[in-house]
Amino acid sequence: MSEPKLPEIGDVQVPVGPQHPALKEPESFLISLRGEKITAVNIKLGYNHRGIEKACEGRNYIQDMYLLERICGICSHAHSTAYVQAVEEIAGLEIPKRAKYIRTLVAELERIHSHLLWLGVAGHEIGFDTLLMYTWRDREIVLDILAQLTGNRVNYGINTIGGVRRDISKEQIDDVLKALTALEERTKYYIQLATHETTVITRLSKVGMLSHDDAVKLGAVGPTARASGIERDVRRDDPYAAYDELEFKVISTNTNDVYGRTVVRVLELMESYKMSRKALKQLPDGPIAVKAPRRIPAGEAVSRYEAPRGEDMHYVKSNGTDHPERVKVRAPTLANLQSVTKMLEDRYLADLPIVIAAIDPCFSCTDRMIKIADQAAGEKTMTWNELHDYSINWYKKRGIAFK
Amino acid sequence: MTIAETINQEEEISRALVSQFTNLADKIKIQRARRMWAEVTLENFRPTFEYLVNQLGFAAISTITGLDEGENFGIIYHLNRDGAIVFSLKTSVPKTNPKIKTIIQIFPAADIYERELIDLLGIQVEGLPEGRRYPLPDNWPLDQHPLRKDWHPEALSGGGTTNV
Amino acid sequence: MSLSTKVLTWARTKSPWVLHFNTGACNACDIEIIAALTPRYDIERFGIVLKGSPRHADVLLCSGPVTRQIEDRLKKIYDQMVEPKFVVAVGTCACSGGVFNGCYNVLGGIDTTIPVSAYIPGCPASPKAIIDGVVKLLGSLKE
Repeated sequence: MSEPKLPEIGDVQVPVGPQHPALKEPESFLISLRGEKITAVNIKLGYNHRGIEKACEGRNYIQDMYLLERICGICSHAHSTAYVQAVEEIAGLEIPKRAKYIRTLVAELERIHSHLLWLGVAGHEIGFDTLLMYTWRDREIVLDILAQLTGNRVNYGINTIGGVRRDISKEQIDDVLKALTALEERTKYYIQLATHETTVITRLSKVGMLSHDDAVKLGAVGPTARASGIERDVRRDDPYAAYDELEFKVISTNTNDVYGRTVVRVLELMESYKMSRKALKQLPDGPIAVKAPRRIPAGEAVSRYEAPRGEDMHYVKSNGTDHPERVKVRAPTLANLQSVTKMLEDRYLADLPIVIAAIDPCFSCTDRMIKIADQAAGEKTMTWNELHDYSINWYKKRGIAFK
Repeated sequence: MTIAETINQEEEISRALVSQFTNLADKIKIQRARRMWAEVTLENFRPTFEYLVNQLGFAAISTITGLDEGENFGIIYHLNRDGAIVFSLKTSVPKTNPKIKTIIQIFPAADIYERELIDLLGIQVEGLPEGRRYPLPDNWPLDQHPLRKDWHPEALSGGGTTNV
Repeated sequence: MSLSTKVLTWARTKSPWVLHFNTGACNACDIEIIAALTPRYDIERFGIVLKGSPRHADVLLCSGPVTRQIEDRLKKIYDQMVEPKFVVAVGTCACSGGVFNGCYNVLGGIDTTIPVSAYIPGCPASPKAIIDGVVKLLGSLKE
């Protein structure tokens, strides 16, 4: 990690992730401040380590699919699909087109729910709790659709090795289309907010700066990278599922800040609505799965997937049995954490909550602890909620606040 | 871009590599469009790696996968070019001397992937700066490497079952 | 009595203060807990108040399986709560470890570490199930 020398005195541990005012860990943090600025950031990781990769070796391929789906409750389809694609490649399975389309539809619906969730969290971090309520209310529309299509609001279990487990009916298609129309209308309001609401723009602009070169050097992915002018998206560059047949725009800006990361996600929402519609329109007839062998022939494969947070990479190695030899997962947030260090360098403590939130950290994909070490001028204890309040009050004093 | 075009790119890359490193003749596998694989000895690893990164445009690394392969540890570096073509370059270190040099001079953010190799397999990555371990918790014994094939959760007291 | 009438009756007699703690497995249950606070489910209209500190909470809502790293902190939080106190395991992982049972860094469900008063299964537990579970617990406390 790119840290200068770590001062010995004064440690702050700050959890990362969507935090409703009362939903945080009751933990104490020790902050040593020099003025109001952060001079060094050391990210402590591994808090959430469960031992999944090892567990995969002791279970069969189907069981592993259900396990990997639960790496993360926000991007579960991402992990499930990335894994299943690798296994299918090793086994030489050509899955039916209809299955690819259904996977793609669920993937975009997941992106929609994830970005709406993020929008609410970002709103909360800058003191705009109304936005949290609005976006999460809208998100319920997507969750209803996903529950209708897959049987669950979260952890859809739609995949099987060889295709998908559930088909989609004409009535369901109509319901999805209706939902997409409703969501599109609501999202136009969020675009309006992002582009015209002064307080939003002020709180997010020039915050969490990450230059294009730094983003490249540090391997940033997803909307975080795309807001720094890196126009990369696995769906277009390394297509999987049905993406090679779906025309869409890769959204990027070059404001290099949290504002850019917000705009990218909101515009990606609009793109996802279009793509979902197209996928339904182009949905081919046919079976939804091919039979997969229980024992997967020896081989290996790399599978990549554009999760809402960025590139999700799975490597699978098989050994001819019904248990994999090795499963390796690199979730997108891990690739973005180094960039957070850079974004916080020499910045105000008040910006910490939104900067961290802006990479949309999947705290269960990686970890939730950030250590802030600073030259000690004095020592204080703060909870995350106090840090959140500190941030909002800091801006209030400067005339930037939501009513 | 059509598949034929991308396969052409992979074949060009393959030819360029072989002309530079004759030991790689017939050793580069194009599994499908945008997926290339090769295995090299430890001595040949660094020059091949740097050539891929500096000359052939593989300017990004997705992750590093460590494997327990019995007498050796396999280490696969998954590079990609323009977010499209993935080149998985593999090398091995013997368990009797499991050392490899860090690549953070080339990819400053790769130390997190290298720390995984240290924690989970016990591979020694040389040249890494002082830093916290990843991903195992602070109170995890330093000599227990869970991804080794001969490691089982019973090695730790309390918790974990054979039903891994 | 309908569910909401039962809850409102309870809320009039006691407004339970709830603390949420997640051991951070996949966070699906945590997102559903937060969803329970949003307009569609709006758990707060039942008088259930989310608190930030263990010292003020009557009910501890726990999600996720217990990992080695989190075990001590979970115990500490429980110890800081004042009697009478109750623990609700939200989600299958909190009930039994779920899919992660057997993973080397996972000890199992919440009850491997602290006593649990109510178990709400589900992967994840839906907001409706969470509200139902909390209400059932509160109902049983009346006796």
